[in-house]
Amino acid sequence: MKIEKHKTSSPHFLGVDLGSAFTKFTVCDAGGKIVHQNLIKTLNIRSRSLKDSVERIYGQFSIKSCCATGYGRSKFEPAQIIKTEINCAAEACLALRPKEKCIIDIGGEDIKIIHCDEAGKVESFYLNSKCAAGTGAFLSEIAERAEIDLTQMSVLAEQSASEREINSFCTVFAKTEIMGWLFDDVPQQDIARGIYAAIINRVNSLRIDSAGPVFLIGGVAANHPFFNNLLRKSLGKEVFVPQKSEFIVSFGAALMAKKYDDKTKRD
Amino acid sequence: MAYKIKSTSVLKELMRDYFQRIGQREKPLAWCTSVGPAELLRSFGFEVYFPENHGALLGATRTAGSNIPAAMKCGYSGDICSYTTSDIGAFLNQSTPLKTQYGLDGIPRPDLLVYNTNQCREVEDWFHFYADRFNCSIAGIHPPRHLHSIRAAEIELVTAQFKRILPLCEQISGQKFDLDAFREVLQLSSEATLLWQQVLRTAMASPAPLSFFDGTIHMGPIVVLRGTVEAKTYYAELLQELQENIAAGRGFLQQESCRLFWEGMPIWGKLRALSDLFVQNDAAVVASTYCNSWIFDAFNEKEPFESSARAYTEIFINRSEQAKFTMLQKWIEDYRIDGVIFHDAKTCFNNSNARFGMPLRLKNKLGIPSITIDGDLCDLRFYSEGQSITKIETFIEQIQNQKSFI
Ligand code: SF4
Repeated sequence: MKIEKHKTSSPHFLGVDLGSAFTKFTVCDAGGKIVHQNLIKTLNIRSRSLKDSVERIYGQFSIKSCCATGYGRSKFEPAQIIKTEINCAAEACLALRPKEKCIIDIGGEDIKIIHCDEAGKVESFYLNSKCAAGTGAFLSEIAERAEIDLTQMSVLAEQSASEREINSFCTVFAKTEIMGWLFDDVPQQDIARGIYAAIINRVNSLRIDSAGPVFLIGGVAANHPFFNNLLRKSLGKEVFVPQKSEFIVSFGAALMAKKYDDKTKRD
Repeated sequence: MAYKIKSTSVLKELMRDYFQRIGQREKPLAWCTSVGPAELLRSFGFEVYFPENHGALLGATRTAGSNIPAAMKCGYSGDICSYTTSDIGAFLNQSTPLKTQYGLDGIPRPDLLVYNTNQCREVEDWFHFYADRFNCSIAGIHPPRHLHSIRAAEIELVTAQFKRILPLCEQISGQKFDLDAFREVLQLSSEATLLWQQVLRTAMASPAPLSFFDGTIHMGPIVVLRGTVEAKTYYAELLQELQENIAAGRGFLQQESCRLFWEGMPIWGKLRALSDLFVQNDAAVVASTYCNSWIFDAFNEKEPFESSARAYTEIFINRSEQAKFTMLQKWIEDYRIDGVIFHDAKTCFNNSNARFGMPLRLKNKLGIPSITIDGDLCDLRFYSEGQSITKIETFIEQIQNQKSFI
C-alpha cells in the first residue's frame, strides 16, 4: 500500500479496528481529541475503499503512528503497532472515565466482558470462543429470519410488553425457534423484544462483578437503544453507552498509537 | 540463529526403532495406558504399545478429524475423549500414520490389554473395544480417584490390584514373574523419570532452554520407553545439551517478557502455530502439568509393588482440587510463572482443570492471572483459532502491561 504522508504539520495518531463486520478508523490529535472517524465494510478490505480511507486519512493528517486492532490486526500493513481489541477498549474507556469498571463489548461475532482496575488496566476478561451466542451475528441472523428491518428493530421492541424469550443460545436453533413464533403469529414487536432478551440472558450468564459501572460498547450498543435500556434494567447498574460506541475500540487504538509514539521518543 | 535442540534427531531415531520393534513382533505385545503399569509388563518381556501415543500422533498429523466420524457411527459420542474416538476411527478406517511414518502394517494387534483408570474411566471402555475386536485378554487397575492425600490403605489396595494381574501376564507372556526383573525395570524407569524431571527443570532458567511445546515432543520416550536403557540414556544426553545451553545463555526465547504455564492437554494439531504465537509475542511457556505428569519420583526398586502403586496413584490427574492447587502452586513458584493458560479440552474433562474454580483460586490466593482457551486435544472442530489468538495475545499484553511494558 503506497501512502502519502505528513500533509499537516501537527502530529496525529491513527487507530484502525478491523472487526469481523466493519473496519473503523479514528484519528486523534496530540491531546487525544478525536478529529476524524469513518467506517467501511470489512468485506471490502482488499478493495478500493480501504485504500481510499487510508489514503484520505494520511493525505489529510500528519499521522505519526498507527495502531491496528481487531481480528484483521496483523494484516494491516501501515500499522507500527498491533494491539488486541480488548486492551484498546480498556485504553479508550480509561480516557473516558479513569475508574474501576466493567466493559461489555458486543461486536459482530463476539462478546467480550473486560474487567478493568482503577488504573484502567485489564484485570481479567472473557471472550466467547465456543459459539456466536449473544453477538451481533446472532441478532442480525434471527432478525433476518423474522424479516425484521434491523434499523427498525429497537423501535419495534419498544412497543412490546411481551415477556417471551428465545431459549436457545445457538444461532441456528434460535432461528428454528423463531419459525415456531412465526407460525404462531407472534407480532414482530414481541419477536424483536424476544431477540434482545436472549442476548441479555447470555450476558447475564457471564461474570460482571466489578464494583464500578458498566460501559457498553460495540455495534449492537450503537444501533439498538432498546437493548441498552433492557440491559440497564437487568443488571440494575449504571450502564454508560459512549457516543459512537462502535468507534471506541479504534479510538483506544489511536491512543495506543500515541502512547507508542511517546515511548519511542523517550527511548 | 534459530534455537534448536540437537538431540531431537536422536529422539526421532529412538522412536523409529521403538515402532519398528513393535512391527517386528519378536516379543509379545501388551497395550498399556500412558500412566499404566508399563514396568511390570516389561518385566515379563512384553513390548509395550500405548494407544494414547497413537491418539497424539493422529492429533499432531491432523488426521483425527477424518477418523472420529467412523467411531461415532460405531456408537461413540463425539463428545467423549478424542484420543479414543480418533484411535477407534483410525482402526475402523484402517488408516493410521503408523503406516506412513513408521512402516507398520496398521495398528498393531495386542496380545494383552492393561489399563489403569488413574487418569479416567474412558480408557477402560477404549481398551474393551479392542478386547472385543481382537478377542484379547484384558486387565485393569482401578485405584481410588481424586485423592486429597495418599494413605496406606490406598497403597495396599492398588498394590493388591497390581499383584492380581500377575497370573494373566504369566499366562500370556509364557514367563514366570521374576521379582528381580521387575526391580531392574523399575530402577531403569526411576532413573529415566528423574532425568526427565531434571530436563523439565532446566526451564527454571531464564532464558529457558526448553519450552512446553518442546517438552511435548521430547516426552515421547518417558511415555513409551520407560523402563528401558534407551530412555535413560536419551534423557541423560538431552539434559547435558540443555545444561550446556543454560551455561551459554541460550534459550528458545532470548528476551522473555513473561513466563507462562500451560495447564491441561496439548492441542496437538496446533502445537507449532501456538508455539510460534507465544514466541512472536515474547512470551515463554516454560512449564505444564502435562509434561510433569510423567514424573514418578516415588519409584523405589526395593518396594517395587508398593512404590509403583503410590507413583501411579498420586499423579496430578488423580488428585483432589486442593491437592491440585498445592501442586500448581509449587510449579508456579519454582518456575517463576506470571500467568497460567488453562486449556479446556472439550472431550477431556478429566484433564481440564478450569471448571471447578481453579482459575479464580489461583487469582485470589496467589495473585496469578489466567485465561481459559476452549479447544481439544485432537478434535479441532472445538477450537476457534481467531478468538483463541485474541485471548492469548490480550493475556500476554495484560501481563506485560502489569510488568510496565507498553
Ligand atoms: S485422560 Fe482425557 S485424553 Fe487421556 S484418555 Fe482419558 S479422556 Fe482421553
